[in-house]
Amino acid sequence: MKWPRIFLAFSSLFFAITALAGAPLNLAPGKNGPATGLADSAALRATVFGTAPQDMAPLPETVPLAEINISLPWKQPVPEVFWFDRRLRVWFSAQDKPAPLAIIISGIGSDGNTTKLSILRAVLYGAGYHVLTMPSPTFPGFIVSASSTGVAGDLRQDSHDLYAAMQEIIAHLPPKIAITEVDIVGYSLGGANAAVVKAIDATEGKLKIHRAIMINPPVSLFASVTRLDKLFALSIGSGDAGVENLYRRLYARLANLYRNSEMVHIDESDLLSAAGAVLKSDTDFSAAISLTFRIDLANMFFAGDLYAGTGIVVDASHPPRVGDSLEETARILRGKPFSEYFAKVFAPYYLAHRPHSTLASLQADNRLDMIGDTLRTNSDYYVLTNSDDLILDKAELAWLRSTFGPRIAVYDHGGHLGNLGERQQMADMLDMLAGRWPRAAR
Amino acid sequence: MKAPLYPVLAVLALAGCASQNFSMHSLPAETPAAANAAAIEGAAARVATQTGEVHRGGEQDGAAAAPLVTTADAPSMYSYDPWERLNRFTYRFNARFDEAVFLPVANGYRRVPAPIRSGVNNFFKNLAEVESILNYAAQLRPKHSAHGLGRFVINSTLGIGGLFDVAKRFNLESELTGFGTTLSKWGMHPGPYFVMPLLGPATLRDSIGLLGDFGVAYAIDVAHIYRGNKTYALGTIDSIDQRSNVSFRYYSTGSPFEYETVRFLYVHKELIEDAALHAKDPPPKRDAGKEAGQ
Repeated sequence: MKWPRIFLAFSSLFFAITALAGAPLNLAPGKNGPATGLADSAALRATVFGTAPQDMAPLPETVPLAEINISLPWKQPVPEVFWFDRRLRVWFSAQDKPAPLAIIISGIGSDGNTTKLSILRAVLYGAGYHVLTMPSPTFPGFIVSASSTGVAGDLRQDSHDLYAAMQEIIAHLPPKIAITEVDIVGYSLGGANAAVVKAIDATEGKLKIHRAIMINPPVSLFASVTRLDKLFALSIGSGDAGVENLYRRLYARLANLYRNSEMVHIDESDLLSAAGAVLKSDTDFSAAISLTFRIDLANMFFAGDLYAGTGIVVDASHPPRVGDSLEETARILRGKPFSEYFAKVFAPYYLAHRPHSTLASLQADNRLDMIGDTLRTNSDYYVLTNSDDLILDKAELAWLRSTFGPRIAVYDHGGHLGNLGERQQMADMLDMLAGRWPRAAR
Repeated sequence: MKAPLYPVLAVLALAGCASQNFSMHSLPAETPAAANAAAIEGAAARVATQTGEVHRGGEQDGAAAAPLVTTADAPSMYSYDPWERLNRFTYRFNARFDEAVFLPVANGYRRVPAPIRSGVNNFFKNLAEVESILNYAAQLRPKHSAHGLGRFVINSTLGIGGLFDVAKRFNLESELTGFGTTLSKWGMHPGPYFVMPLLGPATLRDSIGLLGDFGVAYAIDVAHIYRGNKTYALGTIDSIDQRSNVSFRYYSTGSPFEYETVRFLYVHKELIEDAALHAKDPPPKRDAGKEAGQ
């Protein structure tokens, strides 16, 4: 009996995608000078390749891991096209003695077991925490299994759903897991979620969350995603024609790379070097970043449109079934920026469901300053970010600095999450979580 | 040999099917320190090969360099999938089967000590060399054939029946090929995308290739393991070994477009491999309007 090697070939392709998002490559620093006007070369490269393995914080030898699947009573009826997302999936690493619990929330569109979460999980587990990693409320698996609306992207609503899901999960944990205190960590959009969850908890008191750490958070969700849309327009072009051109460019480069090598099959380790060879200019790096984001947005757009019944790309009265092709829908969605999701799905839904809301109030509700006073005065909120983070502009970074005062660490380089797991950053994060920040002598 | 496996499989299958409101099951532990050490090593190795390639590239300049692929040569972004409806249902079936049976079994298997698992993996890979050697011959690539033969002989003897990959230490790395690649070399196009039951994404050509490889293995019947009592037990272990070495998980994207994504990646990966295979004798140009793989 032979088991085909197709599974192998197949998985390596998934590595290709993740390779683009976090390949530990050593690249010589590229030419200087901003290509897009939004971020410089080093920030773009850091964002794509992540922390070099030799710069990584000390990591433990082994980290136990369990997968939790939970069915949440408040979820909306599950559409057939999302049959696989009916239960929320999260991951837990338990200490064998009483310990504080660190809950980590993923970035926009991402699930609860990303490479970035693995890094944070390892560092926190190594420092003696139980670790629970959760998907972003904008991840389709969360939207379907845990959202009370199905229309993701509202900071307050999403954080409420997250908070409710956390309570359910913790209530079901086996009694041998003894939790002494709860802290919360989030990266990117998950950082903003973490802060709002803690603020909600301050009034509801169900989890008694002690400290919240935000890693590379947005200040205004809409301003940040608009910036990513702009990066898409500048590096890829508008609509599907731009994606097609990008595809042709990458195809030709990859094909030439393989023709000129002795490689027989494309496999995982080759792809890591392929990413380095295929992405050359700042425009390529910008394209990789903004396309990743656009793919996440397409999922969120599709789900929101289906749940809200707004009928932009999917007819809610005749929803697609298991055998139906979604190629055309995916093609249309690749050309749709966030502004269109906001105008045609998000705003109509929330204007109808939230009394007295206006377009302006919906946008304002998605800024961190909706809990600005708390962030300014409560000493249990912390921020770690980079001065070249491409989801922030100067004014937003200045707002973070003035709001958090001594409770912010700003690193010079790293782009967006490109230094996650780096030695100094992780040491700072652990100090913040343990209340040892700011250190006396720095 | 096969009897003890069945109750284990049954229990695991039932455990996988259970759909409680809350389930928590442990996975193999992560090993971040070792993974990071491997990444440091890998990065260093890549830097070394990249500099090496630059050198080789310089030497080859005068030789018969294959014409460069241009953006105009890229096949359509859209994959040829006339059996899409059936494929989508099979994809869902595979996802459910994987979740209920394969994955729990593979996760259990990952608890077996690593040296034993690597022995099992080497053993089956060594057997696969036999078809690979024949396929390289059929592809008129005698050097690769000899390479495979060298590996097979060394590993079957010094490597104690293939349990140890000794050949690797003589710089003979594994380069398995299959009948699917042979068909490609002979000029067959990938054909329609086809999701095989249990086995996953393929094209028509791959599916024929698998059948061909299995037929050859069955006909040769090395060490009498493809016919007889042990066949099913060994086939099961082979499957578990393969699955446990693949980190792909159905619907981990959570996305309604996962079928499209996987199809795109699979078909276009195959076309890039084809392009590399035909670098020196390019196949006739395709119509621009055709979907990829047709």
